[in-house]
Amino acid sequence: MAFLAPLFLAGLVALAVPILVHLTHKERKDVVLFPSLMFLTKIPYQAVRRQRIRHWLLFAARCLALILLALAFARPFLTKPAIAAPTRGLGAREVVIMIDRSYSMAYGDRWTRAVDAAKRAIAGIGANDRASIVLFDGSAMAATESTADKAVLTTAIDRVKPGAGVTRYEPAFKLAQRILSESRLPRREVLLISDFQRVGWDGRDSPSLPAGTNIEKVDLSDPKTSNVAVTSVDFRRDFAEDRERVAITARLVNRSPEPRTGHSATLELNGRAVETKQVNLAANAAATVEFSPAPLPSGTTKGVIRLADDALPRDNSFYFAISRGQALSVLVIDHREGGPSRSLYVERALAIGDQPNFRVTTKRLGNVTASDFAGRSLILLNDSDLPGGELGRRLVEYVQNGGGVMVAMGDRSAPRERPAYASELLPPTADAPIDRTEDRGGTLGYIDRSHPIFELFSAPRSGDFSTPRFFRYRSITPAPGDEQLARFDDGHIALLERKLGRGRVLIFASSFDGIWNDLPLQPVFLPVAHQLAKYAAAYADERPWSVVGQVANLPAIFRDSTGPADAANSADYVAVAPSGERTRLEGTAKRSVELTEQGFYELQRSGSRGEPRTLAVNVDLAESDMAAVEPQLLTGAMVARAGADSASSSVEASTPAEAERRQGFWWYLLAAVLLLLVGETLLSNQLSRRIAVSR
Amino acid sequence: MSSNALPGLQFLDPAVLARIGNLELVARTVVEGFLGGLHRSPHLGTSIDFAEHRQYMPGDDIRRIDWRLYGRVDRYYIKEYEADTNTNFSVLLDVSKSMSFGSGATTKLDYARTLAACLAYFSNQQRDRVGLITFDEDIVEIVPPSAKHLPNVLHALARAAPARGGNIERVFRKLNEQFKRRSMLLIISDFYENPEKIMDAFAQLRGRGNDLMAMHILDTAELEFPYDGATSFEDIETGERIPVIPEYLRDKYRTMIRAHVAEIERLCGDQGVDYWLFDTSMPLDYALFAFLSRRQFLTRVR
Repeated sequence: MAFLAPLFLAGLVALAVPILVHLTHKERKDVVLFPSLMFLTKIPYQAVRRQRIRHWLLFAARCLALILLALAFARPFLTKPAIAAPTRGLGAREVVIMIDRSYSMAYGDRWTRAVDAAKRAIAGIGANDRASIVLFDGSAMAATESTADKAVLTTAIDRVKPGAGVTRYEPAFKLAQRILSESRLPRREVLLISDFQRVGWDGRDSPSLPAGTNIEKVDLSDPKTSNVAVTSVDFRRDFAEDRERVAITARLVNRSPEPRTGHSATLELNGRAVETKQVNLAANAAATVEFSPAPLPSGTTKGVIRLADDALPRDNSFYFAISRGQALSVLVIDHREGGPSRSLYVERALAIGDQPNFRVTTKRLGNVTASDFAGRSLILLNDSDLPGGELGRRLVEYVQNGGGVMVAMGDRSAPRERPAYASELLPPTADAPIDRTEDRGGTLGYIDRSHPIFELFSAPRSGDFSTPRFFRYRSITPAPGDEQLARFDDGHIALLERKLGRGRVLIFASSFDGIWNDLPLQPVFLPVAHQLAKYAAAYADERPWSVVGQVANLPAIFRDSTGPADAANSADYVAVAPSGERTRLEGTAKRSVELTEQGFYELQRSGSRGEPRTLAVNVDLAESDMAAVEPQLLTGAMVARAGADSASSSVEASTPAEAERRQGFWWYLLAAVLLLLVGETLLSNQLSRRIAVSR
Repeated sequence: MSSNALPGLQFLDPAVLARIGNLELVARTVVEGFLGGLHRSPHLGTSIDFAEHRQYMPGDDIRRIDWRLYGRVDRYYIKEYEADTNTNFSVLLDVSKSMSFGSGATTKLDYARTLAACLAYFSNQQRDRVGLITFDEDIVEIVPPSAKHLPNVLHALARAAPARGGNIERVFRKLNEQFKRRSMLLIISDFYENPEKIMDAFAQLRGRGNDLMAMHILDTAELEFPYDGATSFEDIETGERIPVIPEYLRDKYRTMIRAHVAEIERLCGDQGVDYWLFDTSMPLDYALFAFLSRRQFLTRVR
């Protein structure tokens, strides 16, 4: 039996309370003024009676409840009997010096203190001892092999600086576990130098160290910290006459009990300070800073929000990369016949989209050529026939290469005249439309709100689909693999999705012209039109920044929707980190790069002369929360697990269920405390009544 | 009652007066007097004018029944024609520190001076001469008995404040010289003294032919000892402290205080001193009513 939090055993001191209550009858401080003590002084006063415990059962219940409560908080757990001989005592040591190099270690003088502590530990290594340096943040690495050479160890320490990662203790302890288990020296020690941030350990999945491992800790946390960080940036674009401007809003957080006034925040675009603003931050509060709209030049713009220096500089800079041309190019194809266009509603709906911006081009089918498909994100066949001949085949290729097609069926999209290839794009459709004018039109009876198109409307009161009336629509017969996204109230399909190659086709059984239905007149039309267009075009929001620790998938970044499908997969790449370190990624096995530094990564496809892709990377802001975990809790858990594994003395991690079973005694103890306290209440009430009656 | 009323008048509670308004405060012993009153005169024949009729009550002398009146109204009435005179009525009020005790809003002293004021007022209404003596370990203030001294008595009652401890025996020895004329003396005290010593003190006054009444004022807490929890008790008068666990001492204390009260009552009965125990939780009018009823009963019996 051992304890995860043995300090709580100090609570046993509280046993003095019932003893005092039962034994001493401590006098109240207030004195009772009484007219005359002539009778009281005549009564023989037996002082010994004050030291007699009267209610033994009550006394025992109270003491036992306190003992169990202290034990429960100390978190007892079972240990297996140790078979291996204890390794503490005399003999050579295997020392693992674990140094936290997460970016929070750059706070104040923590790093200096960490280096000093590590060097003191190195100085204390004996002639027969061996030591190794383990550096950890989100991952762990051994800076040195196990060695007795103090110079090597000291040099390794001097080379290290705090990184940009977040604290995670688990990888570090796993590495230490491996080093210690491979050692043949009799004594094993771990020196953990860290600021013990709470974010680094969730209390679960603790790796177990070999039996008998002695864990020492150097706690570098500060009781009072002060830190201001930029947590996110928001962009609001506006377009005017081919010029694109962006208004940037930064969100700042003050993680300190002191307010900050006049804290400066500077917006830099492409290395040039554009605007500086002063902001007042209340204690432990957030605020936003809105900068003036700035024109976006062509290409990628590198932006940084920089705050005034504070004790933790890493999170004072927030990097982002934005570029122009986020608009989706949409080709709307009208029927080849004359007459007014029926694309007015859909054109207007897409024209006012800003996330993304839609660039809509409307053409009649007879005027469309194959070159019109180039660079298009979406082709909308709005109540039109399918193009025939070569143009039709190019349309199929366009979809197979990742393009998006949406088909709206009206009275002029006659299924009888479909070309042969049409079956690839569209499912069979009945010639005669279904007419619901006699029953005042049909409604949508089913909508797949889990689909990305309708997910936006899954929350209550977000999109009323019960009001649109559908007077006519075509009956669609789905093929295997087609996905029904919406149906009318009579069960006919309203919206169908068909995947073809890397692209997708959306088929709407009615029209967008306001003739077969009143959908364009309903409030829900605008967001639905945007959702349909974005989904059909496979639009994904551009991520203006990534976070240290994430992995950049280069083929996905360089993939061109209209290019060959496997061109991006087979290419070689070069990644240049913010520090200038170049990484060449060759072959299909290496197509991603781990983002370990804060700043701008430049990514280039080998042999390409185009502009490199820029990736902004920020630190994980979870690390900027300086709240610390109780070091005893962390190291205590490691010691406990080491004890639990002492039988085999090997590295084997217990399952979470087993760990929970071994540590779950506190539940039973608390339940026993509860029962005891209930019993104590009943007993004391009974005694009180008895005393009252006796009076 | 307005704040600018006569000092001490607040003790003449109208509710109290209403309850005892139909009672006669009749002295048990005939004392000398100059003014006519309700008290029987020791000098028979000096004034035998008819005074009034009152209804016959069991215990009255049947020789005093007015048979003529019986013939007219068919009811028995007593014809009061004895010569009446006034008497001295003095209140001896204990204002020692122990009287300042009160477990509730009212202290024993407040209760006692209210009682004293009521009785002084009624005595004065009966043309008795009223006086007051406050005492603790010594005589504090003396208001000589006089028919005009009611305001002085009430003033003195209002001024009375506990300051020192008590010594009833010494005070009464000195007072023995004070009463040249037979008086009706009302002693109001908490009687924290040995009963024999109290009786010795009473005997000195009674030996001068005075009619004594003793009102023993105690607080409920003094009778019941309702304290809990170990604490120190401090004697209000001496400042002496002793640690006490009330739970352990309560029963013995109650036994002793009751024995003390019973002993005083017994000794008072032996010496012909009217004795009454007043608990300050008792309504004042009830206490007065009970006491004066008893006084009236004793007067008739005698």
